Amino acid sequence: MSSGLESLYPFIYAGSSDLDAVLDEVRRSTTDKVGEISRLRGEVLKTYRDALADCATAMARSFEAGGRLFAFGNGGSSTDAQAVAELFENPTPPARPLPATALAADVAALTALANDVSFEVIFSRTLAANGRAGDIALGLSTSGGSANVVRGLQEASRRGMLTIGLAGYDGGKMAEADVIEHLFVMPSASVHRIQEAQTTTYHALWELTHLALS
Amino acid sequence: MATELSGPHVEQIFDRRKDATDALAQDAERVGRACYDMARRFDAGGKLVCFGNGSAAADAAHIAVEFEHPVIMGKRALPAMSLANDAATLSGIIRRGGFDDSFAASLRLHAGAHDIALGISTDGECRNVARGLAAARDAGLLTVALVGGDGGEVGRTPGLDHVLIARSTDPQVAKEVHVTTYHVLWELVHVFFEQPGVLDPAVVP
Repeated sequence: MSSGLESLYPFIYAGSSDLDAVLDEVRRSTTDKVGEISRLRGEVLKTYRDALADCATAMARSFEAGGRLFAFGNGGSSTDAQAVAELFENPTPPARPLPATALAADVAALTALANDVSFEVIFSRTLAANGRAGDIALGLSTSGGSANVVRGLQEASRRGMLTIGLAGYDGGKMAEADVIEHLFVMPSASVHRIQEAQTTTYHALWELTHLALS
Repeated sequence: MATELSGPHVEQIFDRRKDATDALAQDAERVGRACYDMARRFDAGGKLVCFGNGSAAADAAHIAVEFEHPVIMGKRALPAMSLANDAATLSGIIRRGGFDDSFAASLRLHAGAHDIALGISTDGECRNVARGLAAARDAGLLTVALVGGDGGEVGRTPGLDHVLIARSTDPQVAKEVHVTTYHVLWELVHVFFEQPGVLDPAVVP
């Protein structure tokens, strides 16, 4: 198939760029990425095995005392915050539903604050309005550098909430802010692999929280 | 609290991810073929329309933003949307037309024959996702399903172009495989764009 086309498209088909070669590359790339995420999960487990158990124990205590979970992040992380909220509120039985909210799902509050004040306060102001001592704040940022996520966690800490952070790379500003009680940094430079490892991390926290409550 | 958590509890949870993750590598060929078909649709001006329920609704939004706003500088922004983002519209449609046809109804309004429909369901047992994909198939869209377990009702929908099954019955594990899968779908669509010759209609096998 490729030989005839090479004469039609001599530049495009120079080197390895015929369809079969691209498909080969794509297959190899998929396999490589699967290997990367498996290794990254292994590193997260090794680094945070006991810290995850501690964090889930603290979350279970909060829920037992009437606490509620507030999850927040930007972009893909905002969808992770929604997935966290949905998982806690609407779990597969027999796990019991626990109160959880994704802050970015409130588009009215988000756009009002971003328009009237600044994008940096979209989470801190909604936490100031809704959060109480004993509630849980879970901030997600792949870089660890999202200013509004850091501000949200600072506000949560000020209000006496349990503070949890999921970050990537070297933890960025989230690692520097000393307001996060439980910080989990996915040691990777790939946004995609970081998000995948964060997904496993919040699934593990959810499962461990229920185990602690059972 | 009755259970004192310890390291082995955490290890057991992480271990449970391994097989399903490794199994995705076995499906690399299927993933690559789906990417190729998607790249051709985008190249011809099509858009991506995503839908799912619950956590998969969050995935639908995630996939849309992934394509619209690439994390890697210099990659093309591609048209994509989720049918599950607007609670007012979705709950309104459900109230009047029922849950099962909710995505099919929106899809008929927003999508055309040149587009791509991507339905997500961790156990495949989402009737509105199955019907959304069936409506997409009937309208001539490229249809891609991300499912789990045995594929469920979504996976059994006849005539779908690509059914990618996460090999787990645990909804959280299946979701994690889906997240990796759609990250790979996004990245590899762009690999095809970097080799534009393979998108030429004359090359299509």
